[in-house]
Parts: sequence; C-alpha cells; structure tokens
Amino acid sequence: MTRLMGAAALTLGLLSSSVAAAEVTIGYLGLTDDARYHPDIVYTRIEIAPGGNPIDGATMGVSDLAVVSDAVGQTVSLDHVEAADAPALIATLKDMVGKGEHFVILDLPADLVDQVAAAAADLPVTLVNATAPQDYLRTRCYPNLLHTAASDRMNADAMVQLLRTRNWTRILMLVGPHERDAEMAASFRASAERLRLDIVDERQFTLSTDPANREANNTQLITGGADYDIIYIADSEGEYARYLPYDTQLARPVVGSTGLVASEWQWSWDRDGSTQVTVRFEELTDGRRMTGQDWATWMAAKSIVTAYAKARSDDPADIAAYLRSSRLRMDGAKGVQLNFREWDGQMRMPIVLATHNAVIAEAPLEGFLHQTTTLDTLGTDQPEHQCQ
Amino acid sequence: MTMKRIIAGALALVTLCMSVTVAAAAGTGLIFVSNEKSHEVVVLDADYSIVKRIETSRRPRDMHFNADKTLLYVACGDDDVIDVIDVATLEVVDNIPTGPSPEVFAFSPDETQLFVSNEEDSRLEVIDMASRISVMDIPTGAEPEGVLVMPDGKTAYVTSEVADMVHVVDVASGAVTKNILVGTRPRRFILTPDGSELWVSCELSSEIYIIDTATNEIKGDSLIFVPPGFREEDVTPVGMAITKDGSKVLLSLGRANHVAIIDAATHDVLQYVLVGKRAWSVDLSSDETRAYVANGLSDDITVIDMASMSAIQSIPVGRVPHSVVIDD
Repeated sequence: MTRLMGAAALTLGLLSSSVAAAEVTIGYLGLTDDARYHPDIVYTRIEIAPGGNPIDGATMGVSDLAVVSDAVGQTVSLDHVEAADAPALIATLKDMVGKGEHFVILDLPADLVDQVAAAAADLPVTLVNATAPQDYLRTRCYPNLLHTAASDRMNADAMVQLLRTRNWTRILMLVGPHERDAEMAASFRASAERLRLDIVDERQFTLSTDPANREANNTQLITGGADYDIIYIADSEGEYARYLPYDTQLARPVVGSTGLVASEWQWSWDRDGSTQVTVRFEELTDGRRMTGQDWATWMAAKSIVTAYAKARSDDPADIAAYLRSSRLRMDGAKGVQLNFREWDGQMRMPIVLATHNAVIAEAPLEGFLHQTTTLDTLGTDQPEHQCQ
Repeated sequence: MTMKRIIAGALALVTLCMSVTVAAAAGTGLIFVSNEKSHEVVVLDADYSIVKRIETSRRPRDMHFNADKTLLYVACGDDDVIDVIDVATLEVVDNIPTGPSPEVFAFSPDETQLFVSNEEDSRLEVIDMASRISVMDIPTGAEPEGVLVMPDGKTAYVTSEVADMVHVVDVASGAVTKNILVGTRPRRFILTPDGSELWVSCELSSEIYIIDTATNEIKGDSLIFVPPGFREEDVTPVGMAITKDGSKVLLSLGRANHVAIIDAATHDVLQYVLVGKRAWSVDLSSDETRAYVANGLSDDITVIDMASMSAIQSIPVGRVPHSVVIDD
C-alpha cells in the first residue's frame, strides 16, 4: 500500500517537472544464435563461459536511468533485433535508422561490426560496439563508431602492468590455433614490449591427445624446457586453458584466458558502488552474474540515455557530439569518471584483473603515469594511434 | 524475534531514562567510527585510545546521535537494520528493521521519523520511530544515498547516485515535487546554518553543486577543488561538514587523499590538508577545534587541527572506516 502511494507520488513529481514528452528508441543489434554466448561451446554440458545474452546489460542501463529520462520528458525504449548474417544485419540497421533510431548498440562479433560499420558510415547514426574487443576495429576510424567493450590492447596493458609491478617479467606464451587466439597474443606481445617484459618463448598448443603431437598438446611438455616467471595463454575457446593451471611443468601461475583474467567487469568487484550494480543485475536476470560484456552494453545504453538527457538539444547531431565530448562523465561503478577517447572512439575505463572469485587488482595500477589521464596508459595511446 | 525486539526496546527506554542526566553534561568526549568491513563501531577516547570495539550488524555505515546524544543509530547495510547503541554502556541495545541495504539516514527535527535511503531497492523509506513501522516508501532513482531533512521538517532531499539527481520530497504527502539534475554520482548534503543553501557533493564529476532551497534551483556554477599535483578526475568528493557559523566547509576529496577547507561565502580554498587514502566522511567536534576524517582505503582516521588547518594524527581503526561522530 505504501509502495503504491509512493509510486503515485513519484509520477506526480515527474509530471510537474517534465517538458514536452519525447519518445526515444535506442537500437540494439545482435546476432541470431551468437556462439559467443553458448555456455558450453566446446563440450556438452561442461560449462566453460557464464553464458547469457548481454542485452540484459542494456536493459538495465535504460531502466537505471528511467528516472532521469522521465525528468526531462523522455521515454526511452530499446529496439532489440537479431539477424543471422551481414546482409541481414545491414538491412536491419537501415530499417532502424529509417524508423528514426539515431543510436544503435552493436552486440556482434568483430567481423560483423566491421561490415555493419562500413555500411553505416554515411548514415545518420552512431554505433556503439559493446562486445567486440578486437584492436583492428579501433584503427578502422569509422566516423560514427564508438566502443564500450575494452579493447584487447587495454586488457593486455592491464595484465602487463600487474606483471611489471610484481616483477614477474619472464613470460612463457602459449597460443591457440584460432585467428582470435593470434589476435589476443599480438596485443599481449605489443603490451609486453612497451613495458619491457621478456617473452622467453612462444608455443602453439593444440587441443588433442595425439601422441605424435604431444609436445603441443601435453600441458607438462608444452610448459617444460624453459625457465619463466609466469605463463600467459591466449585461448579464445578456453578449453585448453582451463586444464592448464596446476598441470604445468614448473610451479608458475597462469594468466590470460584463465587463472587471472583481464576484463571490463567481474561480479566480485566490491568497491565504488559495484555491489549494488551486481545485485540489481542479478535481480533483473534471475540470478545471472554480470560479465564484462554485460557491463559494456550497460555502459553503452547509459551513455546514450545520459547524452539524450543532458545534451539540452533534440538534434541527434548535438546529442552525438555530447556523447563524444569530455562533458560526458559516466559512472561505471569503477570509481572514476568515464568518457570516450576522441581519436579512436574507445571508452576510457579501468580494467579489473580477476580470478574466478576475486578481483586481485584494478588497472591502471598505481605508479603508471600519463601526461593527461592515467586511464590512457591502457590501450593504444594517441601518439601511437594510426588509422588503417 | 518480535519478543526479543520488544525487550530490547524496553531496555533501550530504561537506559535512555537513566542516562539523560549524564548526557546533559558535556558528553563523554568519545569518538565513534563505523567500520564497513569489520562490522563494528570503534570507540576512541579523547586521547585517541581505542576503548571498545562494539560488534554491530553487518556493514555499519552512516551514524547519527539522537538530540541528547544518549543513543547512537548505525545503519547496517548487509543486515537491513539500523542498530541502536547506548552511548552510556557502549552496547547495542536495539535495532530497527529497514528496507534492503540502508546506507545514509536522517531524523525529522522532532525525531519522530527516520528517513533512510535503501540503496538496493531504490527507495527513501520513512520509519515512524514510535511504532517502528515503515510509514512511507518513496521510489527514487537507483542507488539513493544522501538524505537531508530541512529544519522545518516539511521537505526532505535525497540523491540518486545512478540518476545524477537530487529528489525534492514533500514530507507530508510523500510526493517527489522536483528532480534536480546535478553532476555525476551525487553523494552527500550539507545545509548552511541559515538554511538557504544545500551543497551536494558529486563524486565522479569532481563537483560541488549548490542548490538554493528557496527555489530548488542550482545556484551559480558548480565548484571544483583540485589540490596541487592532482588532476580534476582524481578528485572524488563525498563527505562534507560545515561550521556552526556557516563560515567554513570541510570537504573530503576521496581519491585525491585531501580534505579541502573552504570559505563558505567566497568559495575560496583556505587549505588543502593531506589525510589518508580515499578520504570519505568528515565530522567536526562541537567546539570546532578538531575535525575527523574516515579514510576508507587506509583503514584509519585522520585528526585535523582546525586552528592550524593541518593534520596532527592518524589512528588505525579497522577495515574500511565509513563515518565518524563525536559525543562532545
């Protein structure tokens, strides 16, 4: 009863302060049956990834700021559409733009982000890539593409800062056979070079038990014959990586795709109001734990809704300009204000380095300095940035 | 459960009656610090020696005395209660159930009602102190935090950390009458002694907004205080305190590890005082010779001498100190 009264009270208050009502629809474009969110992508029923569709993050972002939207007379909704391939995604995006959607969150693998962004370059729309970390998307320089997913390089820089701080400087790199593994490894190599870590050897693993190929598939053999402080593994599937810790030749920690993992978010982060975010997300999703991808769609939606509310203009160009400006000061429950880098459209953010149940460190780590903002010690910095 | 609560309530009442004469004197001089992660309120004497660690419900945060300082109320976020500590015996004698995750609260001027922000279900709850019943439950933006009730008891203000907003609440009807958009992640309030200005700390845009309470409009530009050697984004203001004459404001700068002492009229900085890591809540002694700052990430409190405007001592207290209050 008191709740009902309260709800009525809030509506009353909001009506009195609202200006002309406006409907705002934010697009959310996903891939039908996206393999990245299958919890058991490799092997039946032995869950490897937490699963779940990151649309939940965007839904929470809109819901979190509904009070703000109401206060400025806006009603915000998400238009969630999935399509199966690049032509269908591009057609869907054009439909969305035709319906007046000026901001579309992309929840797509990198190659599809690339194709969709290329096709949208001349459309009056701002795209926000929320789930593709590939560095090459940041150097494509599409004029209307922003990123709330952390880049591979940001994650690698975060990890390398920790290794440098701990003085674990001799690395054994293990890399899987997939293109995605090579991409992650390349980012890590570049980060390691920047902070002068020593990659003592780099070996490619294969997922098999073939005795003829045991140097590449046996965890003890592949980690033998070298001396190192730590093992970094790039394994996009995760199936090889998960059996690596405690099965190595030397007693050394494993980081990268297992062990200590760099990400936008981890549910056990407990500072800066993050507990409330995790709890709200679990309530929204019937107990699902928020992932880095959920965090990035949450931030994409929150940033767009904030720009609509605070740009003080109805012109989508002004709202997009606000979104890209330093006036945007987003709260991502990581204790610092966040906005987008002007040179590559990447959201600046701290990166968490977490085990399966604890955040061990938050990068940038103390002592890594920068001439403008320490957040720019993570990722390709402006002087290094080149459009390709 | 109910029985236990009634007994505890009765006990509290008895103790309250007994300790009135004591409290009417100069106060015990004790300093109380709530430790969020060690579930305790630490009590220090005037020499800053720890005299007691009072075990509380889990995650104690904001604290307030009743008017005669016989009871100390402590919001305990993980157990959804406000614990009541008897200042004379230093025991938890009662607790008041609240909605999920109470963080910051305030009393109505006559102490008949308690206004508490429940950060996990986004509500400002009003509890009747006599019946211990929730009489109003006002929806707010997500993660409500700072709560302030005006001296006339007619208006309450509450921040929403996620919505970047201050809600103005008409206490009689429980209606939100206005939403004021402020900076990013608004946290706490102070009211100038004449009641004309409401200051709001906005943690993630590094700003202080001043609201004119006559019009509920933002007054002037937002204020930003950046100590030498820091960048604006390092400054995450949260806690504030104001002197009784309204001349000075103390503002904790969070990650910038300083407290700014500000001329409240001109907004000039009088001094930046280096304190501990992530300086948070700040409180002044009654005679305003000392200020106390809770440092969330160095597990200590820092004592500031107000005459020299310098830090004179830091005292380790426990895990993640949240608030400091003084019985003097």
